[in-house]
Amino acid sequence: MAEKPRIKLPKTAKKGEVVQIKTLLSHTMESGQRKDASGNIIPRKIINKFACTFNDKPVFSADIEPAVAANPYMQFAARVEESGTFKFSWTDDDGTVTTAVEKITVS
Amino acid sequence: MIFGLGRAAGIGLLAAIVTAPAIAAGPSKGEPAPLDMGEAAAARPWKRYGGWPKRDMSKFNTLAKHDVSPPGPTEPRKLPSPITGDPDKGAKLVADRSRGGSCLACHVMGQAGKADLPGNVGPDLSEIGNAGRDDEWLFNYVYDARVYNPETIMIPWGSHGLFNDEEIGHMVAFLKTLKAPAKFPTALDDPTKRPPPVETRDNLDPFVNEAMTAVERAETLFAAKGPSGSACVTCHADAKASFSSWAAHMPKWEPRLAKVMGVEEFITRHAKATTGATWLMQSDENLAMAVYLRHIANGEMLAVDTSSPEAKAAVERGKKLTTIKLGQLNLACMDCHSAEKGGLKWIRGQWLGEQRGQLDHFPTWRTSLLQIWDIRKRFQWCQVNIRADELPPDAKEYGDLELFLASANAGLKMNVPGIRH
Repeated sequence: MAEKPRIKLPKTAKKGEVVQIKTLLSHTMESGQRKDASGNIIPRKIINKFACTFNDKPVFSADIEPAVAANPYMQFAARVEESGTFKFSWTDDDGTVTTAVEKITVS
Repeated sequence: MIFGLGRAAGIGLLAAIVTAPAIAAGPSKGEPAPLDMGEAAAARPWKRYGGWPKRDMSKFNTLAKHDVSPPGPTEPRKLPSPITGDPDKGAKLVADRSRGGSCLACHVMGQAGKADLPGNVGPDLSEIGNAGRDDEWLFNYVYDARVYNPETIMIPWGSHGLFNDEEIGHMVAFLKTLKAPAKFPTALDDPTKRPPPVETRDNLDPFVNEAMTAVERAETLFAAKGPSGSACVTCHADAKASFSSWAAHMPKWEPRLAKVMGVEEFITRHAKATTGATWLMQSDENLAMAVYLRHIANGEMLAVDTSSPEAKAAVERGKKLTTIKLGQLNLACMDCHSAEKGGLKWIRGQWLGEQRGQLDHFPTWRTSLLQIWDIRKRFQWCQVNIRADELPPDAKEYGDLELFLASANAGLKMNVPGIRH
């Protein structure tokens, strides 16, 4: 899954403001419960962890289980006190980590 | 004189400077876009998509072969003896979805199938047992209703081999037990009260519509060099300006191919002829480009050119194709998508739309399948679904059908990628 993650958050905010952050990564989220046409189990392949940090301090993270649907969509809020950088990471069962970075200016 | 000469030379030089970048910056006006004239724009031999039903329907009509299906009967079959079917077996058969849907797909039938989301393409049969019909009439109506009504859209269950005589006998026995109006478990189960579906999701929000990733993917493809060393941007420096309304005028009659060419086939043939890329119809690259070239024309009204005699003839052929009975279920496009017949009604829990409104959002994201479908794949699925063999996506018949559909959708604004179940 080489798709670029989709992230939506404001470019600027006032000090102390609570901003909404939306993230979405294209991923099949194969649960490991399904069988293919010949009856063999399709191996599990999901994003098992999502994490977001702001200026390297944790903001939000989640362990994701197989019941989560394809293209996991996370929406959460964060209070920003200073300008800085949000870092996002998605960890795949196969070990691949997809990352993304978004900056915000706080005035 | 010297002044004069210098001036002339200056103009010549200026002209040369202006012309050279003009060729590099954009395609020349008036010249038709280069097309690869290879035989096919899609995989050959055409192989049906994985996960689709594998049944072979070569004994029935396709959009390319119209005289394969067996002809309808000319007179009712005489029954040697009165029907001694089992109404309980009949009740199961009328709700059996494994053979071309079920009776409930089109008819309300009292409490059959627990009156769970029946359709209303055909009449309500909940009180057919009071209608005074004899066994032979009921048997023949299920076996092949064309014998009583040549215009019927009812599936010839018997003569097309979906149910055998014994099974139809059980159904007749069941029909005779139907003597009271259906009691629906909820208001939604009553097809006359079920509200038509309205798509309200924001199809252009990348958080809602996964197909929006195709736009990003296509922007990368547009700038990537193909085997010939050039890229789309080599000639089309600004895609948004060059193609701001192009897709709204597709498909079109293409004299060099002697058929109607849609956006998808154009992408295959033009890319092959220019950048050398192989972007066969239904490949990921082709779908991404097809979404992109329409996406940048969003808001433009569909306006295909049907002025030439060839295009007019293609529209007429396309219109004719919508009335050809196809497949084991013996359905024509118009049987389900014209309001005079099955259109604007329910087939079980699915709403049958009219032809107008079926094109402006294609290619569309299918949330139930996690796939982008272009209009040709939608055509193919319609056929496989009514138990007919599909044609390859670049078939000339689909071109005629798409041009007819586009002319019937003229004036609707493009809104791509769509999002649908």
